[in-house]
Amino acid sequence: MLDGTGSMGVFKDIKNLLIGMRITGKHLGRHAITLQYPEQKWTMPERSRGVVVLLSDKETGELNCTSCMLCMRACPTAAIEIDAPRGEDKKRTLKVFNVDNALCCYCGLCEEACNFSALKMATMYEYSTPNKGDLFWDMKKLQEAGRDVPYEDKRKKKKAKPVEAAPINEATPVKEDTKTDSPPPDDKASDTAGKEDEG
Amino acid sequence: MPELRTEEFQINMGPHHPSTHGVCRLILTMDGEKIVKIEPVIGYLHRALEKICENRTYAQCIPVTDRFEYVTAMSCNQVFSMAAERLAGIEVPERAEYLRVIMLELNRIASHLIFYGVTAMDLGALTPFLYGLREREAIIDLFEMTCGQRLTYNYIRVGGVARDIPKEFIPKCHEALDTITEKMSDYEGLLNENPIWLVRTKGVGVMPAKLGIDYGVSGPVLRASGVDYDIRRDDPYSIYDKFDWKPSVRQNGDCFDRYLIRLDEIKQSIKIVKQALDGLPEGDIKAKVSPNFKPPAGEVYARVENSRGELGIYIQSDGGKKPLRVKMRGGSYCQLQALPYFGTDCFIADLVAIFATLDIILPEVDR
Repeated sequence: MLDGTGSMGVFKDIKNLLIGMRITGKHLGRHAITLQYPEQKWTMPERSRGVVVLLSDKETGELNCTSCMLCMRACPTAAIEIDAPRGEDKKRTLKVFNVDNALCCYCGLCEEACNFSALKMATMYEYSTPNKGDLFWDMKKLQEAGRDVPYEDKRKKKKAKPVEAAPINEATPVKEDTKTDSPPPDDKASDTAGKEDEG
Repeated sequence: MPELRTEEFQINMGPHHPSTHGVCRLILTMDGEKIVKIEPVIGYLHRALEKICENRTYAQCIPVTDRFEYVTAMSCNQVFSMAAERLAGIEVPERAEYLRVIMLELNRIASHLIFYGVTAMDLGALTPFLYGLREREAIIDLFEMTCGQRLTYNYIRVGGVARDIPKEFIPKCHEALDTITEKMSDYEGLLNENPIWLVRTKGVGVMPAKLGIDYGVSGPVLRASGVDYDIRRDDPYSIYDKFDWKPSVRQNGDCFDRYLIRLDEIKQSIKIVKQALDGLPEGDIKAKVSPNFKPPAGEVYARVENSRGELGIYIQSDGGKKPLRVKMRGGSYCQLQALPYFGTDCFIADLVAIFATLDIILPEVDR
């Protein structure tokens, strides 16, 4: 039935089976490479993309966010929701910053879009919950989650420049390195209109 | 006494069958134990990826393409970026091209290691699965330290790559490649001569080369039938023409050759990655591209060779910041449409072997 014919073929088959057995047998004495998860944990690489958190200034403890809305526009799944109305002095104050982790696709585009180290994808990955609503994180929870997250402050370069007020102003911090076309900062409407189709 | 008569009957294989690698339903018409007719039913995993892409900017489309063919998501990133770059006329820096080739080939190795394990598991051998995935883990760790994710990388971007490799990448990569080279003898020793494996795969599910070409089959499955066609060599993209390697070709077109050709390809990919690591130049990793760039109106088709054949993206642009139409083409779809024409006249157990060695991934078929 098997490959060989006659009694010699059977011996050949048995020999070939034993080759495989020997390879398996070599691993018999070795220790397992698996980890017992809840007790033992991997250390995640520094760049690992887990949950989105909001970062706070190390000295003042206030959020780094300047409400420029670049992350909201970069998000492909519209998981980020920001509301920052303008005050009388034309400055935006951050009122609402929600991240729906059920929508988030962990692409990291928001972190790249941010020029002020306001948000980061932390290495934390254990936040599953039996209730889907608990995945909706508001500003307070995001800030709390990002309290101890180490980060490299991108704002330091900006502070060295004389124009200190620029981050707070509406002037969207768009890089001027555009080759084909400069991104229109004002057509937010078309951006969000496109994103709503996924729901 | 009434005359005994036989008749054909239909059974369903899937949608939830462990050997269909996803959610694929095959309606089998059986004559006793023999399969007479196969009708694949697809669409269970349809997510309208093409339509989603039409409502995203080009930068936002890249995470969507990650979900297209998730076992080799790097090549999906690459083909979309390539199409957008051709459309907008963007030059990619040389270092970025090298990094792309390293990642693409590492991903091909990872994908073939999954193939090795899963195919053997479908045919009843559990050990190869553990071995294959153990070495794949080393590659996945390399991806994770570079781009932060294990499956949906979002690493290759329009104009280059997202981030430079960390310092410890190159020594770890050499280490992983050496381990895989060393373990290749284990892989081959477990299955290549195993009498049970030979009986299950040799001469089973022979796909004639002409049938493959007629139905648009490409990649390792077609090369196992004796057609020497590899897009990396025949329509060179990126910098594949700089490396010394050759496509693997086998002649018989049966399940055993389709299995062997993947092992050959792992060896070739290791060769390419080693050359790329040695020749990695210094320099920029990304051309300056705005996140909301607008390519001029026009249309473009880009294709790459991934581990399942030709992976192509067609983009039509109207000059806006979102593509007007995106069409994705995957290798698995064509392999599945050829299956009814050479997978018949065998037992169901053989069909499992054929389906496994075609290495079909259903999210790519349904997209």
